[in-house]
Amino acid sequence: MTHEAAAAAQPFVMDTAFWTATVIFLMAYAIIISEKIHKTIVAIFGAGLMLVLKILEQHEAFHLEEFGIDWNVIFLLISMMIIINLMRPTGVFEYIAIKSAKMGKGEPFRIMAIFAVVTAVLSALLDNVTTVLLITPVTLLIADALDVDPIPYLISCALASNIGGTATLIGDPPNIMIASKAQLSFMDFIYHLTPVVILMMVFYIFAIKLIWGKKLKTRDELKSRIMSMNENEAIKDPVMLKKSLFVLALVLTGFVFHGVLHFQPATVALFGAGLLLLLSKTHEPHHILAEVEWPTIFFFMGLFIIVGAVVKVGLIKWMSVQVLELTQGNMFATSMVIMWFSAIASAIVDNIPYVATMNPLVADMARQLWPDLSGVELLHHPDLMPVWWSLALGACLGGNGSAIGASANVIVVGMSEKAGKKISFMKFMAYGMPIMFMTVAVSTVYVWLRYYILKI
Amino acid sequence: MKAKDLMIPLQEYLKPETTLKEAANILRTAKRDEERCGVKGLPVLDAAGKMIGFLSMGDILKAVFPSYMGLMNLGDFTWDGMVEDMAKKAGNKKVSDMMTREVISVEEDSSLMECVDHMLKHNVKRLPVIGKDGKIAGILYERDVFFAITRAMLDENAGGAR
Repeated sequence: MTHEAAAAAQPFVMDTAFWTATVIFLMAYAIIISEKIHKTIVAIFGAGLMLVLKILEQHEAFHLEEFGIDWNVIFLLISMMIIINLMRPTGVFEYIAIKSAKMGKGEPFRIMAIFAVVTAVLSALLDNVTTVLLITPVTLLIADALDVDPIPYLISCALASNIGGTATLIGDPPNIMIASKAQLSFMDFIYHLTPVVILMMVFYIFAIKLIWGKKLKTRDELKSRIMSMNENEAIKDPVMLKKSLFVLALVLTGFVFHGVLHFQPATVALFGAGLLLLLSKTHEPHHILAEVEWPTIFFFMGLFIIVGAVVKVGLIKWMSVQVLELTQGNMFATSMVIMWFSAIASAIVDNIPYVATMNPLVADMARQLWPDLSGVELLHHPDLMPVWWSLALGACLGGNGSAIGASANVIVVGMSEKAGKKISFMKFMAYGMPIMFMTVAVSTVYVWLRYYILKI
Repeated sequence: MKAKDLMIPLQEYLKPETTLKEAANILRTAKRDEERCGVKGLPVLDAAGKMIGFLSMGDILKAVFPSYMGLMNLGDFTWDGMVEDMAKKAGNKKVSDMMTREVISVEEDSSLMECVDHMLKHNVKRLPVIGKDGKIAGILYERDVFFAITRAMLDENAGGAR
């Protein structure tokens, strides 16, 4: 019997283990939302509790995909972080940002629009947090140069990064997790999500034009500050830059073909990280590895174990039954409920723990709908595919709903405050919430038209 | 030789609520030995006379240095007059906003080597010297430690025996 079948056949009894696991799960999520204790510590301690109370065996947590750590997600994240950490000192990101500002010819709104597009594209290729970490400092510099309020630029940048990140498998952690669980390839995301994200970006540019277009003004003599910047000075290490771009191109090509070549995305990324480390000829890998965001990585590992435990005791299955009862097996209704619920939930909760919970829930739902199928046949059932896409769209785009909805927002608000420009929770929401509703509305129409009317 | 033997007794200090503009003026005209030639740093004392921080030249530089500059290599993309613009904006910040709060200090009776240890490990050029009453008694300057060392090098009889 496969592990999946074993999970499906798991007897569903509300025994002591069920309630213990449920209480630990709910407590952990409540504390994560309250931010009283750092989320990584909560995740690690919660995972430790699940193991020490024998709700989950260590073997299940470390070696079974169904109940434990999804190493595909972990190694994909670590590898991409290593590649970016090696690329960063070359100055390529400063180059891109300064070049973009110059393309805007010093016009405040033009720069905002170009930055939004560049942020979206970078977010699709790197993760959102990395992108905003690279774009925000330059945004603040440009705003100072033009003597304009940086806050609209920063908010726009965070929102664009969450929209852009939705477009690809590697763009946003929820997509990485969904791809691994549902065994979807990089190209699946390109076919199904990229088109709607491009459409959203067009709407988004019109929206920011409407919101900020008239308010942003500068003086002509300040524009020349931007135009006199020489982006070529940003490149500090041209040799390493060439190596990095080569490896990045190789990794992206690897992602495009990983489905055909039967490689997991993590294999492609790990190979790229190893190759770039080798090419960098560094004798001190310590600092490159130290810069990996270990708190994020351990947050994922802890969450996988906590969620694995509630999958094992049957809580997630019980939840999936409730969802199916609510939608009465109507798949369009299920997609819509999942998309909108995900969007609202992701605005309130970090979307990573949310998707960690929803992934097994959707899989359990599929098992109940099609008990005879298993493996890829089950996960890729034509009626289930729009549900995965709805989950991805809702969870990623919902992040725009509030200042704490996505890690990118938290980073931007934090950096802005450090620079002496506080973005209040309500101020972020005043822009983020309408943009979230707009993008989820576009997604609703897209999913409905593409999967339930045109069926393509 | 101990810290108290080389320190310059406290003459001037800053208050936390003072603006950077005023603080800059005090630093510029403060007494150093007998002359009013300015100092590169002064302790910050609260109303009770307790030292709560230290404001040095580096802190003033940090006050005009935008936080985002520290995050990426953006030095090549700055413009003429940027520091002056930032200085005008920073003038109204409070001393308490910019001062170093965790001050490396020594006791009156700390040995000279302990002082050198702090100066090298924490890369500071002046060490507040705390008196028996827990309040700051004076400041030990790197320059005066340097003179003590040169005296010892040149005078064979100098050192612990004295």
